[in-house]
Amino acid sequence: MMSLVELQGIKKFFDNVRAVDGIELEIENGEFLVILGPSGCGKTTLMRMIAGLEKPTAGQIFIGGEEVTTLPPRKRGVSMVFQSYALYPHMNVFNNIAFPLKAQSREKKYDKRAIRDKVENTARLLEIDMLLDRRPRQLSGGQRQRVAIARAMVTQPAVLLLDEPLSNLDAKLRANARDELKEFQRSSNITAVFVTHDQIEAMGLGDRIVVMSHGKIQQIGTPQRIYDDPANEFVATFLGSPSMNILRNDVFSFGFRPENFLPKTLADNPENSRIFHYYVKRVEYLGSDRLLYGYVQGHDNELTLAKVPSNVRVSLEVDSDYEFAVHNSDIKFFDKTSGQRITEQNLQEIL
Amino acid sequence: MASASPVINPRRYLMDDRRFVGLIFLAPALLYILLLVGLPFLLAIAFGFSDVTVGNTELNFIGFDNFVAVWENDIFRQVFGNTVMFTLVSQVFILIFANILAIIFTQEFTGKWFARFIFILPWATPVSLAAIGWLWMLDTKYSPIDYLLLQTGFLGPNGLLSNSRNLFWLANPALSQISVIFVQVWRMTPLATVILMAGLSSIPTDILDQAEVDGSRFMRTLLQIKLPLILPIMVIALLFSMITMFGDMTVVYVLTRGGPVDYTRIIGLYSFQIGIEGGNLAQGAAMALFAFPLLLALALLMLRTASRAEVR
Repeated sequence: MMSLVELQGIKKFFDNVRAVDGIELEIENGEFLVILGPSGCGKTTLMRMIAGLEKPTAGQIFIGGEEVTTLPPRKRGVSMVFQSYALYPHMNVFNNIAFPLKAQSREKKYDKRAIRDKVENTARLLEIDMLLDRRPRQLSGGQRQRVAIARAMVTQPAVLLLDEPLSNLDAKLRANARDELKEFQRSSNITAVFVTHDQIEAMGLGDRIVVMSHGKIQQIGTPQRIYDDPANEFVATFLGSPSMNILRNDVFSFGFRPENFLPKTLADNPENSRIFHYYVKRVEYLGSDRLLYGYVQGHDNELTLAKVPSNVRVSLEVDSDYEFAVHNSDIKFFDKTSGQRITEQNLQEIL
Repeated sequence: MASASPVINPRRYLMDDRRFVGLIFLAPALLYILLLVGLPFLLAIAFGFSDVTVGNTELNFIGFDNFVAVWENDIFRQVFGNTVMFTLVSQVFILIFANILAIIFTQEFTGKWFARFIFILPWATPVSLAAIGWLWMLDTKYSPIDYLLLQTGFLGPNGLLSNSRNLFWLANPALSQISVIFVQVWRMTPLATVILMAGLSSIPTDILDQAEVDGSRFMRTLLQIKLPLILPIMVIALLFSMITMFGDMTVVYVLTRGGPVDYTRIIGLYSFQIGIEGGNLAQGAAMALFAFPLLLALALLMLRTASRAEVR
């Protein structure tokens, strides 16, 4: 049994720029897959190739077991929500949602009645049925987003592609919209591919996350797997806020997350921990946490952060030395040149 | 007390004063409009209500006599009708051609740059030179068009169109009107096209990509997405060329001088012929002023549409 979407050796070059450089990816039916990466990593280009808006320079795309590499978007059974929502400004909400049905009415044989029913059902599902007469510019950001999703869902596509659809919402609305989107995807059981540069969105939404950089996949896995078990230094530092501390010695690099770097007195089990002498240069009080900036002994040029919960009553003063601990399992080792993760067995061999 | 605050030379900060600097920047345009548009316009109104002629430059107020006389003049009524008809008919063709060309020129094809360049030439050519060019093309005896028709058997003995060797483009009533409209369309289409091209390329690519993903094909995207979105810009292009054409007299002056009889005479030309060539300044001014309410309405409509297009 083939996956719903399969990408084989997908490449896309723009002149000399390798926007997407050899992607192998399988997307399962009903899954919420997030493609995460910094801007310019090729994630949007990858999505546009799945949609059919770009032709790959090399490689093959299969959707539902059928090769679609050179087919136009309308033959692929995909729909897409753009970052800007791309609502048709001169049409009311009803006509926006009805547009893909009308455009495909010849192939799918929708009559007027069927179109009306479908639009109204989808609008009800997204709770925008009272807005059908409005123009896009009369809607709030959140409402526009729902209209865009309704328009994408109304044709019951095999795959729903979402290009940073939450980034135009203000921060308060975004958490809410994220929750609703996930709930909607779960209840409709649609396969969703979601592109974002926001790791919190990615962690919150994704059944699996694909981390991309420089046109290549860095790691694929569940949010927890990617966070706890990063495949390389890029993934380790890209996820998490503040990002993982990376320290270098002569032979390898190692890293640990600021929230795992705690005063020794707080460590669960100091015997299995590594102890560092930590000089605190500055303290930021962030409400629930204290963020410490300082240096670990022997790494005087590598700024190291610690994130200590505010509710633990440990006094931490500026310009003072403390003993901090990291549990051994929370320390990750990386190859000094390639940045690839080194397991502890391999590390023993190196040493 | 007063001596406590330092004495400031007000001239030192003159260039920091927005109102003063603004006035300086506006001054050339203001002067131009006042001297070359405002003054002649007021003068035209003054002439229109007087009995001034080239021979007698004394201004005597005679009320609406000139306007009544002009309106009761049968020739003027035909001239007025010609003007409206030429303007409207040519706009229809300009809009059709400009839309088609704008769509073609916003696609990707080899030689696009060269095609655009060739195509913009009619607009870049001075009106009088272009009109003289067409005067030759439409010449009664030596018209190359007639020559081609003759060679292909459309003209000449047993010709499909006429037994004559010539069509007499500028001497035949219907053909002369068609010729004038044709030259105006030829001349104005490039500007309208450029405006429409700007409109088409200002449609966000997201919208067009969305339409493609939604399954829309070329014609649907064109008719239901692109054209409605550039509608305000289309109105602007239309009004622009209408106003330009309404006031133009160069093309007819060069091609026909208004003939045959009065078939191609339009307000601008007739007013010039009566007022300047005929010396009856007062009547010429009154004629020109007949166009004013129409042009004013068009201009207001244009400004309103333009400001609404911005909001979108």
